[in-house]
Amino acid sequence: MIEVRELQKNYNGVTVVDIPALTVQKGETIGLVGNNGAGKTTFFRMILDLIRPTRGEVFSKGENVSSTEDWKQYTGSHLDEGFLIDFLTPEEYFNFIGKLNGLTSGDVQAFMDRFRDFFNGEILEQRKYIRDFSKGNQKKVGVAAAVMSDPELLILDEPFANLDPSSQIRLKNLLKDLKRQGMTMLISSHDLSHVIEVCDRIVLLEKGKVVEDMKTSETTLQQLENYFTV
Amino acid sequence: MIRLLLSHQWKESKRSSVWQKNLAINLVLGFLMLILLLYVVLLGFFMRELIEAIKPGADPIAAVNAGLLYYFLLDLAMRFFLQELPVLSVQPYLHLPIRKSKLVNFVLWKSITSIFNFLPLLLFIPFALKELPEVYGVAGAWSWVAGLFLLTLVNNFLTLYFKRLMVEKPLLSYGFLLLVIALATADYLGYISVGKVSGVFFNALGAAPIWVMVPLALLAVVYYMNFQFLIAHTYPEEMRVRQASKVGDNAEIGFLQRFGELGTLIGLELKLIMRHKRPKSTTMMSVFFLAYGFIFYGQEIYTNGFAMLIFPGIFMTGFMMMSYGQFVPGWQSAHFDALLTKRLSPYTFYLSKFWMFVPACTLAYLITLLYGLMPEIGGKIVAINTACFLYNIGINTFVVLFMSTYNKKRIDLSKSASFNWQGVGASQFIMMLPTLILPILIYLPFGLMDQPWWGIAAIGLLGVLGFIFHRQLMGVVVQRFQREKYRIAAGFRQA
Repeated sequence: MIEVRELQKNYNGVTVVDIPALTVQKGETIGLVGNNGAGKTTFFRMILDLIRPTRGEVFSKGENVSSTEDWKQYTGSHLDEGFLIDFLTPEEYFNFIGKLNGLTSGDVQAFMDRFRDFFNGEILEQRKYIRDFSKGNQKKVGVAAAVMSDPELLILDEPFANLDPSSQIRLKNLLKDLKRQGMTMLISSHDLSHVIEVCDRIVLLEKGKVVEDMKTSETTLQQLENYFTV
Repeated sequence: MIRLLLSHQWKESKRSSVWQKNLAINLVLGFLMLILLLYVVLLGFFMRELIEAIKPGADPIAAVNAGLLYYFLLDLAMRFFLQELPVLSVQPYLHLPIRKSKLVNFVLWKSITSIFNFLPLLLFIPFALKELPEVYGVAGAWSWVAGLFLLTLVNNFLTLYFKRLMVEKPLLSYGFLLLVIALATADYLGYISVGKVSGVFFNALGAAPIWVMVPLALLAVVYYMNFQFLIAHTYPEEMRVRQASKVGDNAEIGFLQRFGELGTLIGLELKLIMRHKRPKSTTMMSVFFLAYGFIFYGQEIYTNGFAMLIFPGIFMTGFMMMSYGQFVPGWQSAHFDALLTKRLSPYTFYLSKFWMFVPACTLAYLITLLYGLMPEIGGKIVAINTACFLYNIGINTFVVLFMSTYNKKRIDLSKSASFNWQGVGASQFIMMLPTLILPILIYLPFGLMDQPWWGIAAIGLLGVLGFIFHRQLMGVVVQRFQREKYRIAAGFRQA
């Protein structure tokens, strides 16, 4: 699904991402962990062709993401508020994204109904613009919009941050559902137990380099905790 | 403490991205500002001569004294719309162990640094120093200036107070506005004379410095009012002058839905314009520019030739496109990442801009047809404006869109409209050259050969060609955009 070759990004001579090779198979769910500044977001941005790599390429389904735009057809993503259009109401935003993906307004309505639980009555029919929502609720809107078109590949940057405990559990269940449907996922998170529960492979970044790449097992949490203990 | 706060303010403005990024732009803007201020000083210096020219035989000092109160009313009205409230900057300090009264005083003192408070000084000090000492003596002249400055400050604090009150109790503010209007009407109808009061008061100010106490007392009162109000409302959400955004029903414009993806994108952009102050006022401004033609069309030196009519033609039919288009895609900087990663090709993105500009130009053009009613020159104006309109939709649309790929400055739409230089970069200045000068250059050879109508036809023809080949031209724009998008996106991500 995703193949990374010799990927490097430098800012003013400092290497922030340096991944010689990384392959993500179709249907795999990958959790990206690492301390602040490890290069997680920069890595995601390069996969989404938002940042030009200093060196190397990212291939999605065998095609370089910077030379075609086919990946947009099957990729859903939410990294930060920059992915939201904050002067729209959530309904307007979903309709907008729906139209770009060729969904009818009936499809969008059905989608919103499906997410009613996840939204917990705080998103729809609020007569508020997205910019006036709390960070957590903004995140819910972004995550929902990302999975709206049933993408084959889903990229989320810290989806659990800012969410209340119930919403975190709902999101976890949602992601597990999507995983069962065979969606490929790349999720970064600081919450080790959540990410281990959802993902079947964990990639640990440190200063831009992959220092650990393992299948999740019963001992993974222990291993990660050992690594992060100061 | 105050010194520490001041140093933070200084750092804030010095380190703001606007200052740091582009020295050249700041130099140009600074230069323009300086020239503007110089004009103000000169105006003050030659005020006597000006008044004598307008109203021969009048006593300039008496005239100025009589006009000053009107000036202050005008100043108040202008501030009401333009002046910013320096309030939110205290937010990071509210939770720290600093006395609230100190913060409030700081905010109020800081408001004095507004340029509005110094303009009258620049305007009237030269006048006062040049003219007044003969009449009032040096001390009198200075007390006159002091009284003026104090009244300016009264205006400053009145504005702050009423602007804030507008959010709390809108009725009171409107009442104040009504009072001013009633005063003006009564003056106009001759029941009272603001001019006479003004004359008597400012004359007294010069003759007997003790009168300075009046504006001083006024200032103390408004300052105290502001202080009391602010100290009771130090909560950020109460200080912010922002009405809770009212959300109407999800109004999708049905007509646009027929155009598929393009319609959706145009609908999005229309919402962007409608829901934010700055793009809205930018668009509204262009309505006023439709009257721009009157400057040119009333004078025979212009209407006898052709070249000087091309300029207003391009300007009027294209101003809406240019004034909004010069910041594309910066308007969308806050959600630019979304536009890049959602299922949307850059080509469609730019095509939607094109199809927004074309109706905008068409609308402006249709309105300029009214100039055709002007006797004698009407036909000529319509012909030239038609050519300019065609040039605008065929060529200038692409010039604007091509230049847009140079826009790398984030625009924060939550910031207000006036005096907002955010997003201004070199491309805005460069854009003026091809959009306004190129059509005149095209005309020039024909004009020199004494075939002006062929020149006008050439401009129109070029526009038609550009419009026919808009897909190809768009391809060029999109190609450049594809190369630049990383840098644009990186620029937009920087707050």
